[in-house]
Amino acid sequence: MKIWKKFSQRLLDLLKGFGNFLLKELKELVRDPKILLGMIVVPLIMFPVLGGIINFSIQSAQEQAQKAVLLVVNNDGGTWSENITDYWRQKFSINVTIVNNIEITNETAAELLSNYNTTRFIEIPKGFSESMNGYIENKTTTATLNFYEVFTGGGVFENIGSSLIDALAYQFNRAVAPDAVNTAKSAIIKGEIKKGVDPAALASLMTSQAIALPITILILLTYSMQIAATSVAMEKEEKTLETLLTLPMDRLAILMGKLSSSIIVAAVGALAYMIGYNYVLGSFTASIPGDTGLDLVSLGLTPSPFGYLLLGISLFVALLSALALAVIMSAFSEDVRSAQSLIGYIYPFIFIPALALMYININTLPLALQIVLFAIPYTHPIIASKAVVMGDYITPILGIVYVSAFTLIVMFAASRLFATEKILTAKLKFKGLRRGRKALTQEA
Amino acid sequence: MSLAIEAVNLVKVFGNIRALDGLSFSVEPKEIFGLIGPNGAGKTTALRIFSTLLLPTSGTGKIFGLNVVNNAAEVRKIITYLPEEAGAYRNLSGWEYLEFMAKFNTSDKNLSQEIVNNAAKITGLGERLKDKTKAYSKGMKRRLLVARALMTKPKLSILDEPTSGLDVLHAYHVREIIKRYVKEHDVTVLLSSHNMLEVEHLCDWVALLNKGKVVAEGKPQELKEKYRSENLEEVFAKVVGFA
Repeated sequence: MKIWKKFSQRLLDLLKGFGNFLLKELKELVRDPKILLGMIVVPLIMFPVLGGIINFSIQSAQEQAQKAVLLVVNNDGGTWSENITDYWRQKFSINVTIVNNIEITNETAAELLSNYNTTRFIEIPKGFSESMNGYIENKTTTATLNFYEVFTGGGVFENIGSSLIDALAYQFNRAVAPDAVNTAKSAIIKGEIKKGVDPAALASLMTSQAIALPITILILLTYSMQIAATSVAMEKEEKTLETLLTLPMDRLAILMGKLSSSIIVAAVGALAYMIGYNYVLGSFTASIPGDTGLDLVSLGLTPSPFGYLLLGISLFVALLSALALAVIMSAFSEDVRSAQSLIGYIYPFIFIPALALMYININTLPLALQIVLFAIPYTHPIIASKAVVMGDYITPILGIVYVSAFTLIVMFAASRLFATEKILTAKLKFKGLRRGRKALTQEA
Repeated sequence: MSLAIEAVNLVKVFGNIRALDGLSFSVEPKEIFGLIGPNGAGKTTALRIFSTLLLPTSGTGKIFGLNVVNNAAEVRKIITYLPEEAGAYRNLSGWEYLEFMAKFNTSDKNLSQEIVNNAAKITGLGERLKDKTKAYSKGMKRRLLVARALMTKPKLSILDEPTSGLDVLHAYHVREIIKRYVKEHDVTVLLSSHNMLEVEHLCDWVALLNKGKVVAEGKPQELKEKYRSENLEEVFAKVVGFA
């Protein structure tokens, strides 16, 4: 009985202390506007925005697929070719445009796509009706529809046409005879027809591979920003900055030193991360090439040395701009904790492009959204990673020019901040003048 | 011979607060000059202006004839500054910290080594210099930082509350370091302190600051005689009208 009394008293004491302490902690955390904004308000805005972009992208891809004219090249001219196109018209209410007797080569395909302003077409090959008759009579032959689609390297939702042709063939088979019609898919890569390469399988393989880079960029940017912000805030917190600023050296050297060391540490960190990540990714994708028989190297879907160079430059300038921004923001904080909270405001601008562009081709978005995404410097390395694969060098070069200009402005602001007393006196005043005055009194 | 420090009508305004309000004083070379006054009197602001950390709102500050605003880079070559709340890099040893600082003054390895050896003697920390500074007590850290400020034999060393927060023994040691080193190497010192006894013991000349301006100045002994006081604390109280 005595032991129980002692135990319950101890428990009461513990709960009392715990409750009091918990209340104090919650008050401190909730009243800190940096935490409130960074932890609660930002995610509440960021994820709906991201979800909105993805939703919009799926919807627009579906709408486009439905609205699009179905271009059919009829090289057969028989009864069954007419039957199948009529069936599609009636069953799916789609607009079918038919052109007759064109031999499909790289040149004729390019001309067709350009004339009808589309990215895909179906060929009903010569002998289609004959094969259908053979199947109906004694099931000795099956007919084939050839499907061609331009591969743009975009997201998974873009290659919706590939599943469309499967649906068209499947419905016709259900109406006529099971397995009567097969599909043979080909991708048009950089103007060249690659027979037997399914654009959808290729897109999903590319996406699985393309996820690695945005994730690396995301990790690299957030890591290095954390390091840069921490290293500047650390100088303030540990009270070493004032001494540093009175030493006989150019203050720009301090800034450059901070930026360079952050890049080096972040690069080593990113490398270590990538080695680990590739191992995990490797275990996921090991089976993919076997199933699809796709070889990205022989399809010309790997960047050229010049492409790699552009990608490297694009990544470097984006990294530099992020670091300079982190240094500036941390200059406005008094300690490491507030510096890290402050740079949290930049994270949505890194996360949204990285996550959205893993799955979506930026060109499929409405112009206003494209402009917003292009204005974010961290979008450009991700866009560059897709563009260089497709042999498009203009997009990354324009991106590099834009991000370099942005970086120069931020670097100039950072160097001005280090050159003046602002590095010591600048503080973000969340609660207006009251706190500002308090800070100034401490200054005197 | 030019003055070591010349402050002419210095004003510094932060928002609505006038931290310095027409501060004027001058310091002769090889002198230990003390700025004393209560919290908020403007001592740290004045030291930060002479350390090229802050810009005056108006007025002129010169160090050995160099303007602290227009010739800031040149000024930094002849001064060292010890802030009141200074730290050392936690993950460097005391020895590494001194080496790091010495390299800003010379690229000559032998000279740099000589500076560090000299600083090691000043600190009196012996073998503990090999430990990381995060393992140091407050007193040890302050001794390291004072040594850093003096080791390069600067023309002017600006020390903000050099014995701030130290116990009697450490404070005594730091004061002895400053006094001995300054006389041996002809260094001029501008320091601030709350501790009037410390100032009496250390300084050749003191200026009493109140509300951003000098309210009295002179040799400690002369000030005591002039205001018929037993110590500088009493002098200060009489000057600002408390007594």
